[in-house]
Amino acid sequence: MATATPERTVTPAGGDDQQLNPKARRSVGGTLLSVLAWIVGIGFFFPILWMVLTAFKQEADAYTTPPKLFFSPTLDQFRAVFDAGIGPYLLNSLFATVVSTILVLVLATPAAYAVSLRPVKKVQDVLFFFISTKMLPVVAAIVPIYVVVNDIGMLDNIWTLIVLYTAMNLPIAVWMMRSFFQEVPKELLEAASMDGASLARSLREVVLPVISPGMAATALICVIFAWNEFFFAVNLTAARAATVPVFLVGFITSEGLYFAKLCAAATMAALPVVIAGWIAQNKLVQGLSFGAVK
Amino acid sequence: MTVTAERPAEVTPRRPDRGPGSRADGWIRRAPLLPALIFTIIITQLPFLFTIYYSLQSWNLVRPGSRQFVGLDNYVKVFTDSQFRQVALNTVLLTAGAVIFSMILGLLFALLLDRAFFGRGFIRTLLITPFLITPVAAALLWKTVLFDPTYGLINFVLSPFGAGQTDWISTFPLTSVMIALVWQWAPFMMLLTLAGLQSQPHDVLEAARVDGAGTFAVFREVTIPHLRRFIELGLVLGAIYLVNTFDAIYMMTQGGPGTASANLPFYIYQRAFLGFDIGQSAAMGVVVVVATIIVSTFALRLIFRSFSGEES
Amino acid sequence: MAEVEFDQASRIYTPGAKPAVNRLDLIIDDGEFVVLVGPSGSGKSTALRMLAGLEEIDAGQIRIGGKNMVGVASRDRDIAMVFQNYALYPNKTVGENMAFPLKMRGVDKAVQQEKVKAAADILGLTDYLDRKPRALSGGQRQRVAMGRAIVREPQVFLMDEPLSNLDAKMRVSTRTEIAAMQRRLGVTTVYVTHDQVEAMTMGDRVALLKDGALQQFATPAELYDKPANVFVAGFIGSPAMNLFTLPVGAEGVRIGSSDLALPGSLHSRISSAGQDTITLGIRPEQWAVGGDNGDGAGGVKAQVDVVEELGSDAFLYAHLDDEKQTPVVVRSAGRSGARRGDQIALTPTSEDLHLFSPETGERL
Repeated sequence: MATATPERTVTPAGGDDQQLNPKARRSVGGTLLSVLAWIVGIGFFFPILWMVLTAFKQEADAYTTPPKLFFSPTLDQFRAVFDAGIGPYLLNSLFATVVSTILVLVLATPAAYAVSLRPVKKVQDVLFFFISTKMLPVVAAIVPIYVVVNDIGMLDNIWTLIVLYTAMNLPIAVWMMRSFFQEVPKELLEAASMDGASLARSLREVVLPVISPGMAATALICVIFAWNEFFFAVNLTAARAATVPVFLVGFITSEGLYFAKLCAAATMAALPVVIAGWIAQNKLVQGLSFGAVK
Repeated sequence: MTVTAERPAEVTPRRPDRGPGSRADGWIRRAPLLPALIFTIIITQLPFLFTIYYSLQSWNLVRPGSRQFVGLDNYVKVFTDSQFRQVALNTVLLTAGAVIFSMILGLLFALLLDRAFFGRGFIRTLLITPFLITPVAAALLWKTVLFDPTYGLINFVLSPFGAGQTDWISTFPLTSVMIALVWQWAPFMMLLTLAGLQSQPHDVLEAARVDGAGTFAVFREVTIPHLRRFIELGLVLGAIYLVNTFDAIYMMTQGGPGTASANLPFYIYQRAFLGFDIGQSAAMGVVVVVATIIVSTFALRLIFRSFSGEES
Repeated sequence: MAEVEFDQASRIYTPGAKPAVNRLDLIIDDGEFVVLVGPSGSGKSTALRMLAGLEEIDAGQIRIGGKNMVGVASRDRDIAMVFQNYALYPNKTVGENMAFPLKMRGVDKAVQQEKVKAAADILGLTDYLDRKPRALSGGQRQRVAMGRAIVREPQVFLMDEPLSNLDAKMRVSTRTEIAAMQRRLGVTTVYVTHDQVEAMTMGDRVALLKDGALQQFATPAELYDKPANVFVAGFIGSPAMNLFTLPVGAEGVRIGSSDLALPGSLHSRISSAGQDTITLGIRPEQWAVGGDNGDGAGGVKAQVDVVEELGSDAFLYAHLDDEKQTPVVVRSAGRSGARRGDQIALTPTSEDLHLFSPETGERL
C-alpha cells in the first residue's frame, strides 16, 4: 500500500517522549494512598495476626520483650485447648447455631414474603414491630427469662439457647429476606402465573432460585450472631449446654492467663465465624442494616 | 365505533369473595407471617410484662419466702442509687464514644477503599475481620496480648515514646473497653459508608466536576449530603447494638474498679445474677426500657426514613 | 383462538375515585391484532392486565371466546403475555424458559422439546437454547419472551410495550417481525404501547384511551382521517394536527387578520351544525405554502420560526400574525429553501379538514 494514512505518522503510538498528562502525574498521590490503605489494613488486622501467631508459640516465646516475630511453631497449645475439653462446647455452639439458623429461615422466609411480594395490609407496622424488638435491651428481659426457664427446668439446656437465638435473629432475617424478595421483579410471578404455574409452584420454581443467594447470606449472618452470642449463654447455661464463648471464660479462670494457650483457644473460637463472615462479606451490610443498605 | 368521553360514571365495584380486599384473601396473606410474628411476641414481648410485674416486688432469690409486693419501692431505690446514675452515665459515654469514634475511623477507611488499587478486596477483608471475631475472644485479646502492662503489644509499640508499663485497663478502664469496641465496630461503619460511597450515581459526580467543582468541593457538596443517610443509619444501628455491650466489660474489667466501667447491662446482670435481687434488677430493666423507648422514638423515625429510602 | 370482548369493564383502585379503566367496551375479532394506545396514565396497561387476570375486573365483564373471565385465574385463561421487561426466569436456560408454560401444563417432555425447537427455529434462537437469559442481548431476550408465548399456542397473545427496551433500530425491525408473525399464526393479539407509530403500523385496529376512557376504536387510517374528537386528532400524527378555535364568518372562518375561505362542502357542514365558533383541524400536510411574492394571495400569513429539514420533506414551525401569535406546523417539500424569518402564506389544500365542536371536542 503506497498511500499510508497520514494520521498514522502524526500520532506516535505510545512514544516515550510523550508529555505525561496531569492525570498520570497525579497517580503518584494515588500510589501513596494505596500504600496508606495497605498500612492501615495490615495495622488494623495485626492484633488478629498476632493472636494467630501467638497460638503457635510455646508459652516461653509468648512472654518476651521485644515480642518475638520468629519462632518455631508448635501445635501444643491447640492440643492443650482440646485437653481442657473445648470439644463439647464446640459441638454445643455448632448445634445451637445450625438449628437456630434453620429455624430462623423457616420462620423468616414466609414472613418476609408476607411483607414483600404479597403484602399484608399493615406492612409498615409489622416491620416496625420486628425492628423495635431489636431496640429493646436484652438485659431488661433476662430476669424473667431466667426465672421462667428455671421454673420449667430448662436451665443449662441447649434448646433454650436455640429458642432465644431464633428470636434474636428473626427480626434481622425478616428484614433482610424482605429486601431480597423485593428484588424479585413482580413480573416474574405474573409471568409464571400466566404460564400456568400455581402459586406454590411459582414460588418454588421461580422465586426460590432467585432469592437463594440472599437466603445463604442471611443464614451466614445468623450464624455469626448465634455463634458469637455470650449474654444468654453465660447466664442460662452451665456445664452441659455451654457454648464456646463460655468455654473461653472458664478457660482463663481455670488455666490462668497463659497468652499462647488462650490465643489458641480464642483462635479456635473465632475461626468459624470469621470464615462465615468472609464468605458473606458482600451481603454483610445489607443484613446488619436490616436491608436498608445494599 | 366511537365512545363519547366523560360519561358520568358511578361504577360500583362488585364485592369480591376472593381476590384482594376480601376477608379470605386477608388471611391468606397473613398466614405466612403469623408463625414468625407470634413466636417473636412470645419470646421477646412477654418477658417485658413479667419484668414489670417483678419490678413491683421485693424478691431476692437467696432469701426464699422473701417475695412480697412492694409497689414502687424498687423504683425509688433505683433513682436514689448513686451507682445506678454512675452506670447510666457510663452507658451513655461508652455507647456514644464507641459509636462516634468507630464512625470516624470507619469513614476514613471507607474513603481509603473507595478507589481502585492493587489488593483492595484483600485489604477490605482484613479490615472487616475484627468485626467478625467473637466478641469474647476479641475482649480477651485486648485484655491480654494488647493491653498487658508488661508483655502487651501496646506498651511495646509506645515504649519508644516513653510510655512505661502503663496498666491501661486499671488506669483507664472505660477508655480501654471503648478502644476494643471501636476496633470491633469501625469495620461495620466502614462497610456501611463504603456502600454509601459506592452507591453515588456517577453522573452526578461527573456533573459536579463539569460544573467546576474540585475534589474537595465535590466531596463537601455532593458526597457528604449523599452519605448523610448512611452515616445517620450507622450511628443508629451502632447505638442499637452497642448499648447492649456486655461481653467486653465482662471479659476485660468486670465493671471495675468499683463501677467505673460498668454499663447498665452489666450492672443489672450483677444485681440479678450475683446479688440475686430480682425485684431491683427488674425495676432497672424497666427504667432502661423506658429510656430506650424515649431515645428510640427519635432514632426510629430517623431509621425509618432511611429504610423507606426517602430522600428528604 | 378466540374473540375478546370488554363489556363495560372497569378497574377501580379506590372506590369513589376516578376509575383507572372506565366502562371499557371493545370487541376484538378472532385473529385480529389490536393495539391499545394512549398517553401514560390512560389505563391501557391496566386494561391489558385486566384481560390477563393480573388486575381485578371490578365491574362489567371481559369475555374470551364468549366465556366470562371474572374470577378466572390467569393460568386458566389460556393466554400468553410478553412483558415489557420480558420477565424471563433468570435461573432457567432459554430452552427451559420457553418450555416452562408447557411443563406447567403437564405436556409430555418430548412434545415440549419439539415445540420449543420449532419456536426457536422461527425466532432464530436455536443456538442459544442452553444459555441463561443474562448471557443474551436485549433483542434476543425479547425474542425468548416471544418464544415463551408462542409455544403455548394460546387463544390470545398479550403484549405490554414489548419493544420499549430495545434500541431504535431493533425496535423497527422487531416491529415488523412481530406483526408478520402474528399474521402467520393468526392468534388474536392485544398489544399495548404509548408509541403511536407502533400503533399505526402494527394494528388491524387501534383503541385510543385517555384517562381510563376509550376515545376511539378504529382502523389506523380511520383514526388518522376521521379522528373522533380533538384528543384523538392531537394524539395521532406527528407533528400533531394544527387545531384552531375560530369565529365563523360568512365565507369561512377568520384566522388572525385574514379570512380563510373554506371549501363549500365544509362550510355547509359548519352551518348545519349551527356553530358560531368552530375548532378547525388542519394536518401539517394539508397546507399549501406560498411566499410573500403574491402566489399565496388569500392565504393565512405566518412567519417561520424553525425549519426541520428531513430530506424528503421539511416541517416549518411558524406563527400566525394574529394577536396570540398562534403556532402552526406546516409540511413542505424538502429543501424548499425556507428559512427562519420568512413570511409565508398558507392555504388549506384539502377538503378533508377536520371540524370539532369547541364545547365538546367531538367531531362534527
